[in-house]
Amino acid sequence: MEKENEIVEKLKDFLKENLVNVTIPKKRRIFVYIKKDALEEAMEYFVKDLKFKHLSTITGVDLGEEIEVIYHLSYKGSIMLSARLAVSKKNPNIPTITDLIPGAVLYEREVHDLLGVDFERHPDLSPLMLPEKWPKGVYPLRKEYQLKHLREITSEK
Amino acid sequence: MSHGSIIKVPFGPQHPALKEPENFLFEVDGEIVVDVKPRLGYNHRGIEKAFELRTYIQNIYLAERICGICSDAHTTCYTQAIEELLNVELPPRARYIRVIIAELERIHSHALWVGIAAHEIGFDTLFMYVWRDRETVLDLFEMISGNRIHYAMNTIGGVRRDIHAAMVPKIIKGLDFLEERLKYYLRIVQTEQTILKRTVGVGILKPKDAVNLCAVGPTLRASGIKNDVRSDDPYAAYDEIPFNVITHSGCDILSRTLVRCEEMLESIKIIRYALDSMPEGIIRVQVPKKVPQGEVVSRVEAPRGELIHYAKSNGTTKPERYKVRSPTLANIPALCKMLLGGYVADIPIVLAGIDPCFACMDRMAFVDIKQNKKWVWTMQQLRRKYAKE
Repeated sequence: MEKENEIVEKLKDFLKENLVNVTIPKKRRIFVYIKKDALEEAMEYFVKDLKFKHLSTITGVDLGEEIEVIYHLSYKGSIMLSARLAVSKKNPNIPTITDLIPGAVLYEREVHDLLGVDFERHPDLSPLMLPEKWPKGVYPLRKEYQLKHLREITSEK
Repeated sequence: MSHGSIIKVPFGPQHPALKEPENFLFEVDGEIVVDVKPRLGYNHRGIEKAFELRTYIQNIYLAERICGICSDAHTTCYTQAIEELLNVELPPRARYIRVIIAELERIHSHALWVGIAAHEIGFDTLFMYVWRDRETVLDLFEMISGNRIHYAMNTIGGVRRDIHAAMVPKIIKGLDFLEERLKYYLRIVQTEQTILKRTVGVGILKPKDAVNLCAVGPTLRASGIKNDVRSDDPYAAYDEIPFNVITHSGCDILSRTLVRCEEMLESIKIIRYALDSMPEGIIRVQVPKKVPQGEVVSRVEAPRGELIHYAKSNGTTKPERYKVRSPTLANIPALCKMLLGGYVADIPIVLAGIDPCFACMDRMAFVDIKQNKKWVWTMQQLRRKYAKE
């Protein structure tokens, strides 16, 4: 756990008031909650300084009023850093990280498709997972869309 | 040779590589690929949403059905996530059985791939031989679990079936046969011109690109980068079993083939060791149906690379959110990179080179629109349909 604690100390030093909280639930797992506006500088610090070079995926979670976006990064394939932030559903905009991690391109599109988070300056946010005729503004993984709504949409010709 | 004009060529969605749907829009200049746009989602079944609507027990069977080839990787990832949320310690014997099943699965998945790769370059003799020998693994699965593909071995708190003493000699016999055959195939891959002419220097993925595009599994290891969840972030009993992480530095299709061939031989060693040192005892523990509030990131080295699941529980019998990212999705940006600048004729083998599994990748949103009505078929209707065919 030495390495994990060392990383957490560094995170605290760097993020300061932009850090909401940080936990180490078990060996090789760190969860850090950051403020939305700090995303770009925090990601740059994680990737370039702390060498969390691999992005495993991006998860979107519907929290009700807000959507939580979690970036699962890993250090030498071993320690997983899950960095998260929340965006409001009314204005779900966050900057893209594709210029920092080109491998994020499809993960951001996936979160955009299914939860309606807009990644500013993303090269191409056209539908990736959903059909071409899918109605605009319907995000199937948001809690307000229940199975029966989605079934109605898919059965319309 | 440039013809000075760019032509768009759609590839798929009918079976661009394996017998699964996927669409790639290529822009070609003469024989050279200059741009690639992937379009995913032809296999969407709404599995992530479906996870939220089912109980943790039902979800074991749902996870099994994310993929038809690496079904065990998905249930391993799922069950270990839920076990962590429940704070359950797995019995030692169950951890070893999970390793044995996972490695048998790796052999059958890689063997399947070698066959397909051989087919893509027109070497159908190798395809037939490898697939014949792959049956050995499927027979072993049938003996252990009763099923050839969906073995349904994992459950929350352990495994559902034991590997009895009477099975061990049969497994060893199967492995001995496979080892001899696989060594022979490895020699063929290293020396046969039919393979070398089509794979050396084809589909190049430089180490720097592999890292930047977040490639995983054999695709990453064939670019010389030593990453493997089994050794970096050990689960099941991998921290107690010695094994080598295979890498090659050719960055091409040949390297990807060699990595997979050598990994199969490594898997045989792992299984032998696990059978030898498997502790006695129970194979599962009882777990409560309600899962306390929490969240967890679970990872497994599936045959195609790093598989990651994220689970969030809310204290009920159903998860609040369940996220799956299969290795194929992670390798798509790297795949597009490999195709750029290559020949049109090499598209099939380069596509097959990442060992794509589109069913895995396209798990989430919703269904095949045109097939929608079929989705709500009753069991009876299904039985009638298949009885006719």
